[in-house]
Amino acid sequence: MQPTLSPRTLLIRIITAGAFLVLVMLLCSLVGPQAISWKAVMHGPAGPADANPDYEIFVHFRVPRILLAALVGAALAGAGVVFQALLRNPLADPYILGISSGAGLGAMVAVVSGLSWTLWGRSPIAVFAFAGAVGTVWLVWGIGRFAGKYHVTGLLLAGVVVNAFFSALIMFLASVAKTEQLYATMFWLMGNMLEEDFLVLWVGGGCVTAGIVGLFFLSPKLNVISVGYDDARSVGVCVERIELAAFAISAFITAVAVSLSGLIGFVGLIIPHAVRLVFGPDHRQLLPLSSLGGAMFLVVADTVARMVVAPAQLPVGVITALVGGPFFLILLIRYSRKVYWLT
Amino acid sequence: MTFAIQAEHVTFGYSPDKPVLEDISFPVRAGTFLAVAGPNGAGKSTLLNILAGFLKPQSGEVLLEGVSLRARKVQDVARRIAVVRQEFIPVFGFSVAETVLMARTPYFGRLGFESKADRELAASALDLTDTARFASRPLGSLSAGERQRVFIARALAQDTPILLLDEPTSFLDLRHQVGIYDLLKAAQLEKGKTIVAVTHDINLAVQYCDEALLLGMDGSCRHGRAADVLSAEQIRSIFNVEVFAGRIGQENFLLPLGKLAKDSGQISTGPDSKQS
Repeated sequence: MQPTLSPRTLLIRIITAGAFLVLVMLLCSLVGPQAISWKAVMHGPAGPADANPDYEIFVHFRVPRILLAALVGAALAGAGVVFQALLRNPLADPYILGISSGAGLGAMVAVVSGLSWTLWGRSPIAVFAFAGAVGTVWLVWGIGRFAGKYHVTGLLLAGVVVNAFFSALIMFLASVAKTEQLYATMFWLMGNMLEEDFLVLWVGGGCVTAGIVGLFFLSPKLNVISVGYDDARSVGVCVERIELAAFAISAFITAVAVSLSGLIGFVGLIIPHAVRLVFGPDHRQLLPLSSLGGAMFLVVADTVARMVVAPAQLPVGVITALVGGPFFLILLIRYSRKVYWLT
Repeated sequence: MTFAIQAEHVTFGYSPDKPVLEDISFPVRAGTFLAVAGPNGAGKSTLLNILAGFLKPQSGEVLLEGVSLRARKVQDVARRIAVVRQEFIPVFGFSVAETVLMARTPYFGRLGFESKADRELAASALDLTDTARFASRPLGSLSAGERQRVFIARALAQDTPILLLDEPTSFLDLRHQVGIYDLLKAAQLEKGKTIVAVTHDINLAVQYCDEALLLGMDGSCRHGRAADVLSAEQIRSIFNVEVFAGRIGQENFLLPLGKLAKDSGQISTGPDSKQS
């Protein structure tokens, strides 16, 4: 019997996708409202006498922003894969269990209360958003567990209701907020990239990479769990333990991504589907390739967001669906004939 | 004499005041083929889920090779029992080969890939169930009967001494019904597997199974030799249906006939039937 997926094939695909991601990041880092030349950048930092603006722009604006886009894209797409598997629902995304509204509520509270301290150079918005995301997802998980261990519908419903409830609170706060406060949160709620400190990028990138690597080791078990709860048990998978670990890791990396960039939609839902359409449902492959694909996609989307109305900038969340929608529909038409669940 | 499974005073109900199974006890000797029959709603699938450890009995217990299921870990049970549920279509489009290989998941290496031995087990399971020719097709593109055989292949690839099956032939055509029973019987005789199959096909059960368990709607439970338990009188009283009983060679066959069936007049003259 031929192996369904050999480690060698997987490694080659991951390396190819990784190389492609690096290429995309390099190209996008040279694109922007301010034209910079690669040659000038390679000159390195200038002495105090003659400035090298190309290098300054590259290192302090372009690179951090592109790294941030890559890590957020990877986290959202990877978490999307896991949520779809755990909930056995192709419509699931990383936000489905209340992370988005929890983070949004946290951000809104931070803005409305007018706090101005910082933690690790982060504004209170990010800290509150992270706390809101993690707190909400645990609340939903707890309710779902209580409602019924074997039925993901209970969990999904709990997520939908908590999302609705918190969204109402967000709208309440928005209606009592001052105009300039509202403007700040609007951009956050639509998903927005800002240039970040390298420290934040290292910590965030470390968390996300470690999370995705950890999830990869759970991925063979996610295959069986995505087929069914009892099926996974009957072949000898400790479903509760794997579910809890996979859920905690993917909720955590989603919360990290959301606290850094706001609510960027579409990536976590569509990238897993796009990769599944082309490469099939095996999570050992789906997870790494989706993460790399999500990173690529968000880097490109953010570059477009920087460019279209330059020198002003669009929130990247506006672009993801605008760019990603047609792209996904082309994939859908091209590959749907070999995928049964669309027929 | 060793027992593969022993049910001891098992009571289970989905609501506390209405037990589906009440104080059920029976042994399954290692290497026997047991049929579980009974009307819809009598608790056959529930019993299978209890034997597999998916449901916990409210009282009583199930011993797996002498040790209580409660004391056994999930992997521990999965090394001994493989389960074939009624067929269904998984959400994501896994191929037949991928589905069958999933049975080997607990044995995968540290990086999460199967060994050559795992692949060989899966390949022989595909051959045995006549599913190798559509190994690369997604499950959703198969007919219900083909899918059923894939799930049986997955259970065989799990390579366990005990097989539990919930209506394994429910969607199969005649050739594949007989094919699956031949396959299960061969696994029993050649590899010494213990097989418990929930079935509605009394005639196949009598032909292939050593023992039978007949569950009634009133919580009653008869256990014994297949030919004794699945006799015309028992079937009449448990299912509340008239049957024509005939004899082929060493076993009887039963043909259920309703009031308006063309041959319903023949029932009282069947060789095995008593005058009513």
